[in-house]
Amino acid sequence: MVVLSAARWLRSRLTDRFWRKLEVLKYARHFRGRKNRCYKLAVRSVRRAFVKSTKARAEKKRVLRALWITRIEAASLEHGLKYPVFISNLVKSQVELNRKVLADLAIYEPKTFKSLAALAQRRRQEGFLAALGDGKEPEGIFSRIVRHHY
Amino acid sequence: MAGKGPGQERGRGRGRSEGPALPPGRRPSQGSASASRGRGGPGAPGPRRGMASYTKAAQQWATFGRAWYLLDAKMQPPGKIAAATVMRLEGKHKPIYHALNDCGDHVVIINTRHIAFSGNKWEQKVYSSHTGYPGGFKQVTATQLHLKDPTAIVKLTVYRMLPKNLQRRTMMQRLHLFPEDVIPEDIQKNLLQEIPQPRAVPKRLDEYTPEEIAAFPRVWTP
Repeated sequence: MVVLSAARWLRSRLTDRFWRKLEVLKYARHFRGRKNRCYKLAVRSVRRAFVKSTKARAEKKRVLRALWITRIEAASLEHGLKYPVFISNLVKSQVELNRKVLADLAIYEPKTFKSLAALAQRRRQEGFLAALGDGKEPEGIFSRIVRHHY
Repeated sequence: MAGKGPGQERGRGRGRSEGPALPPGRRPSQGSASASRGRGGPGAPGPRRGMASYTKAAQQWATFGRAWYLLDAKMQPPGKIAAATVMRLEGKHKPIYHALNDCGDHVVIINTRHIAFSGNKWEQKVYSSHTGYPGGFKQVTATQLHLKDPTAIVKLTVYRMLPKNLQRRTMMQRLHLFPEDVIPEDIQKNLLQEIPQPRAVPKRLDEYTPEEIAAFPRVWTP
């Protein structure tokens, strides 16, 4: 006799539970305590870790920028300039280097950074002359603004 | 450029660029040990390449070695003294700074007995503490504390200016305070550079020579 509903008597059983849990546990292996071994504890920790990682992406930009600024401040103080003076005079000289590049230059290219500091100092002096001088002195060289037409 | 201290033994700004061959992974954006920053020292000069260069070992020592700085606190306000030392203890005077880098230096402060508070702070500033027992709240003026321990004011000022994290205690261990000019031999041998004093000490009238007094311009005749 052919029993057509035999297949329905077979209850489907989960066979890959191990790998489903491993998928989560593999992100928890470096955690502390039982949450690096036990799935029920790990699930909660892994979810929080992912949430924190997502939210930290915006914070990372802030943190890195603050670090660059600290480093540029240290390097410019070595050359006798404070950070706001350095940055403002670089901007006025149309040197469009961002803080990331300036921090890397301060570490890896100290001579280049020194010349940038000298440029900022010179532009500062020209600014003072333009503000306080009588106007009879010739205009500064580094204060000239070049307009680029792209 | 101004800003180089007087007796500075280490040159700054003498590094060699790595060039485009450096793989981007070695950039120390989070601080690492592979910075080739040019804080070259007077160590063994490398092969002459047309200008002074430094061996990699000398450069590494100059960049990452922990330096010892001296600061004279005579006639200086303790707050400004502390601000200068905190910069050096944290390592924020170095372009390779990172909080996890442990790049702070040692600072030796001498003449802490001769610090100078401005205003009436010697009588008005109060240092409070509590022993933990009931009725153990103690308040002492700056004068009383200074007489009891001449290094306490500077120590407390520096401690309170440091960042309030676990590295504070380590940084305090790298701070060395001495009430007078006398420094132990082993610390004196380590000193590298003197930090310039934050406040320009004015001269008293009896410290001027008669020639200087005579050379001073007369503004009005009585």
